[in-house]
Amino acid sequence: MNPLLVTTTQAVDPVFMFIFGICLVLLVGITATMVFFVIRYHRSRAPRPTSQADGNLWLEIIWTAVPVVLVLAMFYYGWSGYLTLRDVPKDALPVTATARMWSWSFTYLNGKESPKLYVPVGRPVRVELVSKDVLHGFYIPAFRVKRDVVPGMKNYAWFVATRPGSYDLFCSQYCGVGHSKMITTVEAVPPAEFTVWLKQGGGGAQAGKELLEKHGCLGCHSLDGSIKVGPSFKGIWGRSETVLTAGKEHTLTVDEPYLRRSILEPQADVVKGFPPIMPPFAGTFTNEELAAIIDFLRAGPAAPPKPDGAQLAQEKGCRACHSLDGSPGVGPTFKGLYNSQVKVKMGGVALTVTADDAYLRESIRLPAAKVVEGFQPIMPTFADLRDDQVEALVEFIEEQR
Amino acid sequence: MMPTRSFWNDTGRTGIAAWLFSTDHKRIGLLYFYTALAFFLVGMTLGGLMRIELMAPGRTIMGPQTYNALFTVHGVVMIFLFIIPAFPGAFGNLVMPIQIGARDVAFPRLNLFSWWLYVIGAAVVITSLFTGGGPPDTGWTFYVPFSERTGTNVSLAVFGVFIVGFSSILTGINFVTTIHRLRAEGMRWGRLPLFVWSLYATAWVQILATPILGVTLALIIAERLLGTGLFDPTRGGDPLMYQHLFWIYSHPAVYIMILPAMGAITEIIPVFSRKPIFGYKMIAFSSLAIASAGSLVWGHHMFTSGMSDRAILIFSFLTFVVAIPSAIKVFNWVSTLYKGSISLEAPMLFALSFILLFSIGGLSGLILGAAATDIHVHDTQFVVGHFHYVMFGGAAFAFFGAMHYWLPKFYGRRYAEKPATVAWALMFVGFNITYFSMMLLGIKGMPRRYYDYLPEFAPLNLTSTIGSWILISGILLLLVNLFRGLRKGEVVGANPWGGATLEWTIPSPPPTENFEQEPVVTHGPYDFSKAGMP
Repeated sequence: MNPLLVTTTQAVDPVFMFIFGICLVLLVGITATMVFFVIRYHRSRAPRPTSQADGNLWLEIIWTAVPVVLVLAMFYYGWSGYLTLRDVPKDALPVTATARMWSWSFTYLNGKESPKLYVPVGRPVRVELVSKDVLHGFYIPAFRVKRDVVPGMKNYAWFVATRPGSYDLFCSQYCGVGHSKMITTVEAVPPAEFTVWLKQGGGGAQAGKELLEKHGCLGCHSLDGSIKVGPSFKGIWGRSETVLTAGKEHTLTVDEPYLRRSILEPQADVVKGFPPIMPPFAGTFTNEELAAIIDFLRAGPAAPPKPDGAQLAQEKGCRACHSLDGSPGVGPTFKGLYNSQVKVKMGGVALTVTADDAYLRESIRLPAAKVVEGFQPIMPTFADLRDDQVEALVEFIEEQR
Repeated sequence: MMPTRSFWNDTGRTGIAAWLFSTDHKRIGLLYFYTALAFFLVGMTLGGLMRIELMAPGRTIMGPQTYNALFTVHGVVMIFLFIIPAFPGAFGNLVMPIQIGARDVAFPRLNLFSWWLYVIGAAVVITSLFTGGGPPDTGWTFYVPFSERTGTNVSLAVFGVFIVGFSSILTGINFVTTIHRLRAEGMRWGRLPLFVWSLYATAWVQILATPILGVTLALIIAERLLGTGLFDPTRGGDPLMYQHLFWIYSHPAVYIMILPAMGAITEIIPVFSRKPIFGYKMIAFSSLAIASAGSLVWGHHMFTSGMSDRAILIFSFLTFVVAIPSAIKVFNWVSTLYKGSISLEAPMLFALSFILLFSIGGLSGLILGAAATDIHVHDTQFVVGHFHYVMFGGAAFAFFGAMHYWLPKFYGRRYAEKPATVAWALMFVGFNITYFSMMLLGIKGMPRRYYDYLPEFAPLNLTSTIGSWILISGILLLLVNLFRGLRKGEVVGANPWGGATLEWTIPSPPPTENFEQEPVVTHGPYDFSKAGMP
């Protein structure tokens, strides 16, 4: 872990200065010597060579040894700077960056998704990098961090914004026709503002449920009231439980401190009638994760809010290729698309179809089925969208008259 | 007027067949030269169009798909069809057999076959641009999984490069055999011209590394046509494995491009300084060191890929090790100038600017070799600038120098000096404006392969584009002047520059068999006094 907080920029910039400095000295030295020799020994001044020397062992030794020392120093300095880039500070805020052709989406622990990477000033952020399709590159020049986003691989990067502001975030690994449009920003805001932003529209309970699934909690604790190895989570918040604390029986009301304690040290209070076999989870969860789980246990499963088509079209990168103003892009414009007659190719056969709900639904799920004439069949499939999200997108396209 | 017995008017076949089926190394060398030069002009045009597109943000003259195809084809043409075949194929063939006192290469028919493979492979690449789903849009690196999914004509283009690879392997085998077996009496290893040494090191890289490119490209075709899933993570494959395979060839390939260029510079500098090369052994040794150590550094293209940190440690270290022999060469070239008698004709101007541009390219490579700094500039315009400093400012400038230095030998006539100097100056100035701007853009954070960019990058992009116009006008002037000179310029004798290597002992243009009688070598390649020079 990174005990003394050095920002990524502070780790990298001195290495730049060091290597640039050495390069400059060498370059100026070589050029000046060369120019001097060319002038001094130009044939107009030196009609005949005044030496036929063809080597000098000591010179060779010197100009082998000096570069050896210099390159070792540059190598070492470069390596130690790099280590900082890999050494994530302990209290880093975890965010997942999902890259797809050609957009970024950032998911926070409470389930909130955002097309921009909002971060609190002063707090390190650890970004898990996930690709939905091909290689992408996560690159924030201001913080000197870059890491490829490789499908099927768990890459990460970290940085800390020390000042509020908006910083460019690029895709650095070529990923097709929309590569240069795969740009977003890091929005560094004061921590208080960030907390408020994070709570808006976040699906905290949803993230909590995912954590419970991921860590196998639901194998012993049911959600539907049935009794398994441990007590059911259904209606657990506020329930009176009889527990054994250090062998003594007493009754308590399930609240946040109790849940927290029972997750971290399950043996502290064991509900009467259940065996004391739950393993302790101290050190497994971050504070955010614990809060998300407790949120979920408090609220219980709830219906997710209705998705917003306009926001989805932005987040999923649809608008990188499909314009809203009628201008041609990589794909057909959304403007006036709904219920229009489009000429498509289906399996090599040309036909005309109406762009109705069914056609749009199909084209989002299986873009290659019917490709509009004059466009490349390059749209990625969006199999991971939920049905309600597809409907929201179809509605959004319908609105673009 | 030509000498009565030259390779231009030897008996036998006439017309085009005398060229297409010739096994004479000089004719094959010229075939390579003009083919490669044609591809250079194609690549240059594509590069110029890209710079015009990037002149201002937003759409200037083309759409994003066209732009992506342009940089892909620019890369494929310049690397696989120009710079890799150009030096060994053209000047290696033209000069190397004469420099070692041989009549031809060891396998003349294999030599012709290599050129045919090159042309056939190139034709397949060109065909891929106009057929199927359109020109490939993957970048010259063909990175998976994108190259497996795009609908463009990647398979055919990759197959073309695959064929060109065989041409490269066969040339390598031919040269290694020739240098081992066909040296004239007295041409000991210690008397080999350093251009031959550099070709020898290059030939080994061609033989050992190119098969891996062939395998990699064949695997892409298998992925696309058979769906083998080797590189596709959704089917248990690994995209990083592709990157390793690709760079195991493609990094050593940059030494195929630069080593013979260094060799040519090493010939030119002593001749135009009238002084023996400084540190012959160190230069020969450093060619071999670059070729062997350079084969172990491919991972430095992958510092951001997700490769393990330990691998980054090792590859970063080895990358810095390669810098040492390169530095040794630069110091030896500069020392050769000391107390010489320097004349600044076109070959020397290109050689001296090679030292400067290659130094900038090499030193900027240190930024890329250090792990911390590479992370920031990796996949940015900095890499594009660095690469062009080494490959264009290095290899191609040396190629232009070699054109002025050696082509008069084979045509018996020479270019005019003044326009050549002006052309060189335009190129030198234009080059630095074009590519130094790119390096600055990269440091500011502009990624590479960007069709469009944010407004903050606009001024430097405009500067770079203006530089490219100066550069291209210089190249055009240079070519016009050179070829006019070769057709009707001043007639030159056997040794216009005062060189001490064997090619200057025979008539210009040389006879078909090169030497009237087998030469016996009695002195080193840069021993001007023993060769009877002032």
